[in-house]
Amino acid sequence: MTGSAAIIWLASFPKSGNTWFRIFLANLAAGENGPADINDLDERGGIASSRHEFEAATQLDSGFVGHDDIDELRRDVYHRIAAEVDHQRWIKTHDAYVMTPSGRPMFGVAGTRAVYLVRDPRDVAVSFAHHSSTTVDRAIELLNREDGALCASRTALAPQLRQKLLGWSGHAASWLDQSDLPAILLRYEDMRAAPEARFAAALAFAGRDATPDEIARAVRHADFSELRRQESEKGFAERMSRTAPFFRSGQVGGWRAALTAEQVARIEEAHAPMMRRLGYELSAPPHER
Amino acid sequence: MAYSYRISGLTVACDFPLAGAVATEPAVTPDVRVRLADVPQTLEGGAALGPNWDMFGEDFLLRAPRLARFLIRGGREIVIALEDGATARDASAYVLGTAFGILLHQRGALVLHGAAVARGGEAIAICGHSGAGKSTLAAALCRRGWALVTDDLCALSPGDDGRPVIRPDGRQLKLWQEAVEALDLGEQRGEAVLARFEKYFVAPAEVATEATPLRAIYVLRESRPPLTDGIEPLPLPDAMHMLDREAYRPGLRLKMGVRPELVAQSAGMLAHVRMFELTRPRDLARLPETVEALLAHWELAAA
Repeated sequence: MTGSAAIIWLASFPKSGNTWFRIFLANLAAGENGPADINDLDERGGIASSRHEFEAATQLDSGFVGHDDIDELRRDVYHRIAAEVDHQRWIKTHDAYVMTPSGRPMFGVAGTRAVYLVRDPRDVAVSFAHHSSTTVDRAIELLNREDGALCASRTALAPQLRQKLLGWSGHAASWLDQSDLPAILLRYEDMRAAPEARFAAALAFAGRDATPDEIARAVRHADFSELRRQESEKGFAERMSRTAPFFRSGQVGGWRAALTAEQVARIEEAHAPMMRRLGYELSAPPHER
Repeated sequence: MAYSYRISGLTVACDFPLAGAVATEPAVTPDVRVRLADVPQTLEGGAALGPNWDMFGEDFLLRAPRLARFLIRGGREIVIALEDGATARDASAYVLGTAFGILLHQRGALVLHGAAVARGGEAIAICGHSGAGKSTLAAALCRRGWALVTDDLCALSPGDDGRPVIRPDGRQLKLWQEAVEALDLGEQRGEAVLARFEKYFVAPAEVATEATPLRAIYVLRESRPPLTDGIEPLPLPDAMHMLDREAYRPGLRLKMGVRPELVAQSAGMLAHVRMFELTRPRDLARLPETVEALLAHWELAAA
């Protein structure tokens, strides 16, 4: 594919607005036929860690290829997808921007760009705990572990390929400090405050045409009240928790009521430099803690 | 010295013992030869069609990282060059999986990505993507007295009366450690399928040795919203479409060229088989519910 980018990596740590962004894209595609069905998002680009797509591309039984060897091949798979797609694909990923064992950037192939979504780690911790039916403390552990990963089981075949997260700061640094691909940073909080302007910026970066009216309609159709309505009526396929709905409040700053002072301190101590860099105000200056 | 096996109806002679396969009497002229020899890195003149595989004429070259290169030729031969540090034992898992799947495609077989189990002389196939839970459900049915027909490659061929039959793949079940524990099969657990991986051979109590007529195909789906638990029949046109999707590596089948007579053959076979979507939770703790639902469905259909 020539001209605009063949693949846009829609990259983020989990629970940072990735699904909301994909629903916006689905509504942009649906146009006046929207609101798009929240359970019909998969066909619109998929996720980079899809086991099925990896096997279809490599012919290998992914259960018999080590996690690191899979990373090595994933780069070659993406290279081929970028060279062969006939329309722009927005592919979701929660992987950090990692190097393969041989030292090549797994996502850094020609013809791709990245939209990096980031959210206040304190809100991510609360949201992740609800989503995964786990405790806030376990969620904080995932944010703080520099070797954290999803689907890294060795005793069962996880539904997706292993995804290295590298902790919240490590994840953000990996995508923001790489220089292989053009990348744009979008803060979840800014998207909530002014969705039209931020989505428009991301589309312009990707070289995807859309009029202000089309964008405004897609934002309206991807409003949280609409998403909650659809989820309560039909459920949502990407929901993991049996008790908590996927679309809760999408709230900014909800952590103030949900985290203990000790939990806040644990997150801020681990991530102060990256939080400052991304404009997330610390609740207390370090010398007062 | 050659080791002999019968896999998906084909007699196989192999240079080395195939781990997990059940040895048989040698055939005078084996259908398939498997041997260790040098294999090129790429196929001369071949279009590189995948990131780790090439296809040219009747040859297919597959590169499995840090393990081996497999040259699969004309549906008759698998030549293996081991990478440094890999053993023939390690290559067995690929011979019996991907390599044999490609070989069956080369022979024009209709191959489902599924496990098959039989009772009372009739088989059901359980299809689904990798990780969908095919082998686990098959193992649970084997615990309830069913016989294992195939583990994950299910080759169909027309039987005498036009009904499709499945030929046993002559191997053991392969289960991940979590499934071994959930099914309490620790005592039946054999060796690891491949060094470094927590997936093990498990010998089922009963194994089908003859071609078995296929009565129904169940396609596994996870019950995530808006899907709910249940077993629903597929209308014939949808079943035809679904059969393509549940084939072993359907994209590869297309790239190899699907011969019209085979499409006609699968349509003919499908007229004798009923196809269902089996929607259930992926949670191992709820596997017994799925087994009960499937057994009840089978009894009802048999009545």
